[in-house]
Amino acid sequence: MINLTLYKREMKSSVKLLVIFAAIMTMYVSIIITMYDPEMMETLDGFVEVMPEIMAAVGMEAGATSLLGFMISYLYGFILLVFPMVFCILRGNGLIAKYVDRGSMVSLAAAPVKRRTIALTQMAVLLSGILILLIYVTGLEIAVAQSSFPNELAVSELLKLNGGLFCLHLFIGSICFAASCIFSDTKYSIAFGAGIPSLMYILQMLANAGEEAEKVKYFTLFTLFDAEGITAGKGSAVAGAAVLAVGAVAMYGVGIAAFSKKDLHI
Amino acid sequence: MDKTDIINIENLTRDYGNGKGIFDVSFQVGKGEVFGFLGPNGAGKTTTIRHLMGFIKPKSGACTINGHSCWKESDVIQRTLGYIPGEISFFDDMTGAEFLKFISKYRGIGCNSRQKELMELFDVNPKGKIKKMSKGMKQKIGIVAAFMHDPDILILDEPTSGLDPLMQNRFVKFIGEEKGRGKTILLSSHIFEEVERTCDRIGIIREGKLVTVDSVEELRKRHMYPYTVTLDSENEAKGFAKAFDGKRDGLKVTVTAKQSLEDIFMHYYGGREDD
Repeated sequence: MINLTLYKREMKSSVKLLVIFAAIMTMYVSIIITMYDPEMMETLDGFVEVMPEIMAAVGMEAGATSLLGFMISYLYGFILLVFPMVFCILRGNGLIAKYVDRGSMVSLAAAPVKRRTIALTQMAVLLSGILILLIYVTGLEIAVAQSSFPNELAVSELLKLNGGLFCLHLFIGSICFAASCIFSDTKYSIAFGAGIPSLMYILQMLANAGEEAEKVKYFTLFTLFDAEGITAGKGSAVAGAAVLAVGAVAMYGVGIAAFSKKDLHI
Repeated sequence: MDKTDIINIENLTRDYGNGKGIFDVSFQVGKGEVFGFLGPNGAGKTTTIRHLMGFIKPKSGACTINGHSCWKESDVIQRTLGYIPGEISFFDDMTGAEFLKFISKYRGIGCNSRQKELMELFDVNPKGKIKKMSKGMKQKIGIVAAFMHDPDILILDEPTSGLDPLMQNRFVKFIGEEKGRGKTILLSSHIFEEVERTCDRIGIIREGKLVTVDSVEELRKRHMYPYTVTLDSENEAKGFAKAFDGKRDGLKVTVTAKQSLEDIFMHYYGGREDD
């Protein structure tokens, strides 16, 4: 199904990026979780009162009562959406399009390895990267929360929440991957692979910010990730996550089929 | 199709517009044969080879290797095929040694690899990042990568580009030895002499069309003109023979005028010149 030699090489190239993103998220996650403090909450709520649009745009709302609610407000609106997304964009482009664009795909294609196997391997590399990143974040969140505020965090709800987040990033990754497979030019691969998710995030910010712009939420897939809904076990939120997962499977399929059938001018 | 034909191309056409592409190309390469694929840059050599490698799907016509479709069963074909790409582009982040090790494992080659023998033959120094290697060294790494799994069929796209004359000679000799071991070889080039020295038959392609397929002997007869001149003294004759690479017989020296590749094309195109 996948070529292990290629998988190992690609995972090795993922390591550097994973370490960088893990470091950035470690910083934000630990700072923000340790900021949870009923008194501090008032300060943050103060910010929300002073500049409601800006705080709402990055998904931060006032009045979170529990630690998890606080985390949803201050981590799941920007940091845990954007950083894994940037990882998907960078890695997605490097997995297929860069090889084709530079011509080094020759070394991979001129071997008794099916193109489908090459694409599946590269997909597995991206999925592994996303999974490692989110598992790390989950572990980090639990560790920081437990050490700072013992027994404050609802762990099972956090797991549900991060399951939903995984579906979202699975889908974002699938867009980047499909773009990487479809376009032989990194120019276009990046334009679509980075452009579509970024545009959707900007629409999400718009939708969060203003009442008139709220309709924009129907044009962005981030809407399907409903953090509060998932922790509360709301049916619509779970369905949204399921739609993201199904969409991801479809997009990975599209990418693999496109790469298997396209002409390689290498 | 003859039973001994390994590579079989039939009416292969791929039109890129503006007269670019390949048009109705057909030829066969038999078992144990070295076939020279000759043409100027942009004539369609690489496009034809990409079809054989399964990189491009034929728009019309077909190509097979060992009876397998080059597009649908390329993974089967690749098991016994070695390929030197026209443009060498490896993984820049690896050293030569790492790259060869990677390819061996990726292809699933066991320990019966010819890698060491080939590296000695071509003086390959695989230390150092590929990014920093000279064009010639990269080319030599490409040669090792193409031959190390001892494939039966070889597709070589301008394999000597970037090699110094010494290495070119070594390569030509090596191709002769591989032919002796029964390998089927398709060698593309834009240098007539190189093909002439290694190949049994030559196909000439120009502007995407196969102009002629002929044995080297036939082409040589047709495009080389011997002249015999008589000189005044033996010393002069010796000098003349040396200077013009001729054959001396007493005072007589026979020199051969070779038509340039372009002249040969002109011959097949009736002097038409439109590019």
